[in-house]
Amino acid sequence: MANLLWLQGGACSGNTMSFLNAEEPSAVDLVTDFGINVLWHPSLGMELGDNLQKLLRACVSGEIALDIFAFEGTVVNAPNGTGDWNRFAGRPMKEWVRELANVAQFVVALGDCATWGGIPATAPNPTESQGLQFLKRERGGFLGPDFTAKSGLPVINIPGCPAHPDWITQILVAVATGNAGEITLDEFQRPKTFFTSFTQTGCTRNMHFAYKVSATEFGQRKGCLFYDLGCRGPMTHSPCNRILWNRQSSKTRAGMPCLGCTEPEFPFFDLEPGTVFKTQTVMGVPKDLPAGVDQAGYIKLTGAAKAAAPAWAEEDIFVV
Amino acid sequence: MATGGAKREDHARLLQEIAQMLEDGLETQTEPFPETAQEFARILDELRALDPDDVKGRLVIAGFLNHPYGPDGQRCQECIYYLVHRRWCDLPELSLPVEPEWWCRLWKI
Repeated sequence: MANLLWLQGGACSGNTMSFLNAEEPSAVDLVTDFGINVLWHPSLGMELGDNLQKLLRACVSGEIALDIFAFEGTVVNAPNGTGDWNRFAGRPMKEWVRELANVAQFVVALGDCATWGGIPATAPNPTESQGLQFLKRERGGFLGPDFTAKSGLPVINIPGCPAHPDWITQILVAVATGNAGEITLDEFQRPKTFFTSFTQTGCTRNMHFAYKVSATEFGQRKGCLFYDLGCRGPMTHSPCNRILWNRQSSKTRAGMPCLGCTEPEFPFFDLEPGTVFKTQTVMGVPKDLPAGVDQAGYIKLTGAAKAAAPAWAEEDIFVV
Repeated sequence: MATGGAKREDHARLLQEIAQMLEDGLETQTEPFPETAQEFARILDELRALDPDDVKGRLVIAGFLNHPYGPDGQRCQECIYYLVHRRWCDLPELSLPVEPEWWCRLWKI
């Protein structure tokens, strides 16, 4: 039996919605098959008011063993570092976060906001938001760069806006069943099993990417979304085209560009006209090239690919 | 509804008309080249304001030339909007038949 406590800071509940839609395993499977005892969750917890405070205090004191502390949303520090803009159970949420993180065996940050601050921490960051152990790319965050949970692991970051349901439940199961040792983390403390390959890996538009045929409107079934519509699939680490959403599809499969939401810099767009869902270019060349590709190589490849492109690459081959 | 053959004829006729306009020295706005996506977007806004049948207006605003341009010899052939087999510019605001050796300032790779 592993006790799980889930709290929300500066959050939209997107990761809760995602979690409740998990299928492999489902949120119910966590309880019935994998021995997870959900102590409290904002959408599932029964305790309110004094009873909730009593539960949280019991976790902090060690009276109740806290095996997994899952946090969704940013740590809100405003105004002026007090955290009073996000009060919870009688005190600033950030105080609960500090005390609970210090007693938990594992701390798991769920979604972009909890990992690196996400949208709330975007400049000018009026809520003085931080992720648990990062603020955007900068290591540190609310708990500091040297924080480790009692297990010895730093915060396990599961980014995304929201995180895919199965990324959440599979990591929770691994931790709860004593398999945390098999989780290796990348430089941003993301589980490598999910965040080593690219969003583009498994994308159905890869042949259009290869032959440099561009989609020019949302929802088009032919063409690659990288060249004109700002898709960040070739630069973003996620398994969105390997572990499909709703077991069916992904943004890029549906004709919507990847927004890069598993990377610390998200959101990338500055909302100026011409920047949202538009590939950013400098003198006609994309500002951000596919990971590991240099500009000279990219230009040479484009020339060769266009010259070699077959006629079918320009057609909508998905029409039945 | 136009048949495939009729479409091909329309395409060829329009391509010939455009080629003739450029051959006759149509003055187009080749400069400034949009250095950023924001500048690119402003040219698209100008194109969207045109009558959909105003082919000449599109050529002028986009800065079309019937030859490669610039020190790197930029041309439609390598542009991301160019469909090689259809000889077509697939940028929705242009949607024109074009030749691979042509160029316009909406060139993007």
